[in-house]
Amino acid sequence: MTIDSVTPVTPAVQAAPASQLEDVLPLSPLQQGLYFHATFDEAAPDVYTAQLVLDLEGPLDAGRLAGAAARLLARHPNLRTSFRQRANGEPVQLVHRRVEVPWREVSGDPEQVAAEERARRFDLTRPPLLRFALVRPAPGRHRLIFTNHHILLDGWSTPLLAAEFLALYTGAEPPPAPPYKDYLAWLTRRDRGAAGEAWARALDGLDGPTLVAPDLAGRPPADPGHVRAHLSEDLTGRLDAALRGRSLTLNTAIQGAWAMLLALLSGRDDVVFGGTVSGRPPELPGVERMVGLFINTLPVRVRLRPQETLAGLLTRLQAEQAELLSHHHLGLAEIQRLHGSGPLFDTMTVLENYPLDTAAAEVGDGLRLTGASGSDATHYPLALAVVPGRRLSLRLDHRRDVFPRTEALRLLNRLTRVLKAVAADPDLPLAALDLLSGEERALVTAQGPGEAGATAAPRHAGVVGGHADIVSAFADRVERDPDGEAVRAAGVCLTYAELNGRANRLAHRLIDLGVRAETPVAVLLERSAEVVVATLAVAKAGGAYVPIHHGHPPDRMSWVLADTGAPVLITDREPGFVHGAAVVRADEPYPGGRQPPDAPPGPARQQPAPDPALLPGSAPPPGSHLALSDEPGFVPQYDPNVRVHPDQLVYVIYTSGSTGTPKGVAVRHRDVLALAADHRWAQGHRRVLMHSPHAFDASTYEIWVPLLTGGTVVVAPPGELDPDAIARLSAEHGLTALFLTTALFNLVAEEDPTAFASLREVLTGGEAASPEAMRRVREACPDTLLGHVYGPTEATTYATYHAVREAGGTAPPIGRAMDGMRAHVLDRFLRPVPPGAPGELYLSGAGLARGYRGRPGLTAERFVACPYGGGERMYRTGDLVRWTAGGELEYLGRTDVQVKIRGFRIEPGEIEAVLSRHPSVAQVSVAVHDNRLIAYVVPAGTVPVEELRGFAGEILPEYMVPQAVLTLDALPLTPNGKVNRAALPKPDISASGRPPRTPGEERLCRLFAEVLGLERVGVDDGFFDLGGDSIAVIQLVSRARREGLTISPREVFACQTVEALARGGSTGREILLPLRATGDGAPLFCVHPGAGLGWPYSGLLRHLGPDRPVYAFQARVLSEPGYTAPSIEAMARDYLTHLRRVRPRGPYLLAGWSMGGLIAHAMAVELREAGEEVGLLAMLDAYPGREAAPDERDVLPELLAAIGYEGSGEIDDVVAFVRERGDRYAALDEQTLQAVYRNYRNGVKISQEYRPRRFDGDVLFVTAAHGREADSPTAADWKPYVTGTIEDHTIACDHASMLNPGPIAEIAALLRKELQ
Amino acid sequence: MTNPFENPDVSYLALINDEGQYSLWPAWAEIPGGWTVAFGEDSRQACLEYIETNWTDMRPNSLIRAMGE
Repeated sequence: MTIDSVTPVTPAVQAAPASQLEDVLPLSPLQQGLYFHATFDEAAPDVYTAQLVLDLEGPLDAGRLAGAAARLLARHPNLRTSFRQRANGEPVQLVHRRVEVPWREVSGDPEQVAAEERARRFDLTRPPLLRFALVRPAPGRHRLIFTNHHILLDGWSTPLLAAEFLALYTGAEPPPAPPYKDYLAWLTRRDRGAAGEAWARALDGLDGPTLVAPDLAGRPPADPGHVRAHLSEDLTGRLDAALRGRSLTLNTAIQGAWAMLLALLSGRDDVVFGGTVSGRPPELPGVERMVGLFINTLPVRVRLRPQETLAGLLTRLQAEQAELLSHHHLGLAEIQRLHGSGPLFDTMTVLENYPLDTAAAEVGDGLRLTGASGSDATHYPLALAVVPGRRLSLRLDHRRDVFPRTEALRLLNRLTRVLKAVAADPDLPLAALDLLSGEERALVTAQGPGEAGATAAPRHAGVVGGHADIVSAFADRVERDPDGEAVRAAGVCLTYAELNGRANRLAHRLIDLGVRAETPVAVLLERSAEVVVATLAVAKAGGAYVPIHHGHPPDRMSWVLADTGAPVLITDREPGFVHGAAVVRADEPYPGGRQPPDAPPGPARQQPAPDPALLPGSAPPPGSHLALSDEPGFVPQYDPNVRVHPDQLVYVIYTSGSTGTPKGVAVRHRDVLALAADHRWAQGHRRVLMHSPHAFDASTYEIWVPLLTGGTVVVAPPGELDPDAIARLSAEHGLTALFLTTALFNLVAEEDPTAFASLREVLTGGEAASPEAMRRVREACPDTLLGHVYGPTEATTYATYHAVREAGGTAPPIGRAMDGMRAHVLDRFLRPVPPGAPGELYLSGAGLARGYRGRPGLTAERFVACPYGGGERMYRTGDLVRWTAGGELEYLGRTDVQVKIRGFRIEPGEIEAVLSRHPSVAQVSVAVHDNRLIAYVVPAGTVPVEELRGFAGEILPEYMVPQAVLTLDALPLTPNGKVNRAALPKPDISASGRPPRTPGEERLCRLFAEVLGLERVGVDDGFFDLGGDSIAVIQLVSRARREGLTISPREVFACQTVEALARGGSTGREILLPLRATGDGAPLFCVHPGAGLGWPYSGLLRHLGPDRPVYAFQARVLSEPGYTAPSIEAMARDYLTHLRRVRPRGPYLLAGWSMGGLIAHAMAVELREAGEEVGLLAMLDAYPGREAAPDERDVLPELLAAIGYEGSGEIDDVVAFVRERGDRYAALDEQTLQAVYRNYRNGVKISQEYRPRRFDGDVLFVTAAHGREADSPTAADWKPYVTGTIEDHTIACDHASMLNPGPIAEIAALLRKELQ
Repeated sequence: MTNPFENPDVSYLALINDEGQYSLWPAWAEIPGGWTVAFGEDSRQACLEYIETNWTDMRPNSLIRAMGE
């Protein structure tokens, strides 16, 4: 562009003479809003620059035109204003008597001139906030570009101004309009109180703002893009008629249509957006001719009700809006302040019923107006402007960085469809309104090749066609390749034929015990080959296996058995919980020695009438135990040939339930087959690692995908899996695929992403994926497929799958539905949503479970009628997803409050239900902060926080026990009266501990804080008290190693605090092991059991609270391998010297499990005799020297049973076992174990020799209820050796598992009560 | 957020299909093919109570027949 002349302002165009201010005025509400936006970022382009362009033809006198411009300003004081802030921050407008009118005449491209005029910012302090440019694109043709700041004028005013301007050019002097000042004066007379109340009513109960671009807040405005659509004349006419017939205005129709669009876009059914009102109060004389800023943008709140029709919605909306008519003068900022919220909306609509008449008009003296257009802008990401006319015209202004042009066009098309529907059938129910285009519909209903339907899906070649039950599909595998390797575990390798034989024998036993079609059979097994055998055996017997997690508290296990009514329990241990099932010990050898030759396979077995006592519902006598003597002479190995229907149940897996009761997902044979037959497994899933807990549904993939496709189940050794173990197992066993939860995957990706390099495929999922972790793995293992999987237990493990190829940046999608399964993304009206819009995911087709066992109501709520198949059901996942443009699903979050912690699905409601049973809890809410479960409690009286956690730990699995309990005076509520979870305070877990004093402590504190995601950690804060778990331990150790600091997981478990770790760490073998050395309370001293180790007491820490120091005595033999303790008394005296060093004076608190109870007793006797006070003597299942003392039994397996050891007890075997576990028992090297053995044998001897003296005081006794015989010793045996009372408590566990998480929580609760 | 199956302000139906399976269903929504109304319309709770009372065998009808052979 060239500027050939810039005419300086001439005297002729100067306005009024005086130089002072004419007036000082307040700002109208909208002016205040614009003032804020315009001054928000003065470097950015000001989008509130409006422009009016007039095209003129004919002879033009530019000087006269400039003079008209000056006259215009002279007539309207509010065009001569500038804006400033008073000292108190309040903005005011200053009316200047005299301003210079910026006027220039240029040649060049008029479009470019217009753009340049727009791009120049107005300085609000320098009047006037407008300028004129006259361009002559061709002889006889002129374009007048009038640019102004929106704060002066609204769109209604510009045509008035243009008409006046052209009239002034011709020399006319139209009658003056009333001044803007009148309006400002009118404003001050309004009843703001009444208006405020009306707006508060209108927004009552609104549950949050409607923001289409919530992360834009605070970003500077940007120049919007525009897309346009025009309705046909015919459609415009029909729409008008339909509206007129129901006395509805066009504005109402536009607002209703926008609300429907916004509901789809935001996934809400109660939406708010800005509606522009003229703001010209009818009672103000001459208001229609006034020039200035009157327009106001106010919240339009629309509730969408599925039962309403289109016309019904519009009629209600119009009535609701009419209530607000006389309150349009209130500013948006004030309304938002009254509602107590931040920005309520970020989209708006405006009906522009002030168009310039674009028809040619005669100006005068041969000059003609041939066209006019305006440009106006908003700071909203989406703004809809509608211009009425013979053809209704729609313009959507969109922020291009949020809604690209194609997306904006799609929105506009959707809006047109809504208006079409209103025109066509106003009585259409909202729920029947179709918002999808044909293309969109095709995209969301297509499920991709091979995923269209159960019958059409190509099957995995390895799964034999026709089989829809596990039993026959497995039989087929056995027949095809009997010698193929089916199961590989430590020291065990089973061929298909061998596995078949073992499962058959167990199946026969189950049938003999009364297992029939769908009989639930509980399975409580440590990870081993037996899990596979038992699982298959139950299926072969026709039953449904119910896996139980051994980490769950006894009460929960008992509950699951009672809920299913399982008459049989397959286990490898003393169950340790109350149940009424017949126990089948998987770890005991089958009797009968030689196996008989297999009987020929016959016709389907006629099942003999079972013993009525063993039928489901009529359980055998409690605890009845089928020991060796109960066995028949031999158990046959031939197939029991029980016919199984594909719709029969094969397992029931319990998940968290919101009402406080876990729910058992009942899965059919057909479902497992559908999973196993997916084409995705065909290549790489030959040797699959089984490591997930059996009670976690990933075990379905880990067991059945390899077994039903001719592959191998590789059983991981017990314990946590870490990156080293994955790499080692992959190499040792030639693994080809495995599944890891998100947390574990992320950990491996961080520590050693190459661990997967030898695998064909890694599957991961369960929680929000980390793109960074995926990127690292893709880079480190380019030849390994990475499958991102998603699925609820109710849809049989995996429902969708996405092959991650390019990772990084954003979270990967969860992909497409598995073979035979169909995904539906529906809105609140059960309508399919288009790509990009959020909706709830529903699943139908193959793999859908039968429902929740014994819970018809719950089943009918979640497995609901599917609108897309005759009589079919679909599962309502509660997960919020959206389709990508490519037809994949993206996970967005939960529709409810369900959360995932460490891969476990948790309903906070279940935890809330449990905690609310505690008498001192009035109200409770459970939420997640930084991956930690926090309970918020409104107490009824005083609540001992640690007691609540202990209380929860007795009923809930460990992962569901809140890591912190916060007491509040009241729970914050939403306007709807629900608990406002977002407003629950963030707990300050970054604890109280002392700051570090040495560089070593400082480094460890930092590492603790990094791993735990905390701001800071003190030197005496316990790692586990701060929410650390076993994964975090591995992380801590790896990070420390990277920094050249060597600590072992065992040390972390043993030391727990930075202080203890920095003290040079603990060898784990010292005589007095400080489990927690800090705290104001009197320390608790725990004495080791027969094995000599004190670590197992660390389980007490989290339940006793941070104020209670805890020490554990360990046998001297651990640190001095040659040592042999002469007697219990000698040990007691030895320990007392250590005790007095830590605590010179009483009162003393002592506890001991098993042999430790005897030593604690002896110590207590000595202390009393020395005149010291003993505050507590707790004896855990310890009995004075009797032949049948529990220590009589093999003590190491007793200790190791708690961590899942079940081997021969040979030292090599035990060492290998604990090494593989890599946890706190890893310190059990061979030397230690030798010492432990010696100590144990010696311990048995000196225990029997112990002749207790009398202890002067009371005893707290805890009896382990399970595994007791009629002649087992009792607490009463202590009577001769105690002067005071013996308070005996019984807990539901066996002797060996007393320090397991469940029982130890109960014990801690007893101790805590005693110590108060 | 009001889920169509969790809205306390609207009435519901208890639907049943040929397999004897029940589904809670919002009364405002069109009834999908293959399903008929077993109960309602009524409150959500009343529909669920009806289902609790009447859906005593959760096996599909075809399985009940097959297992009864």
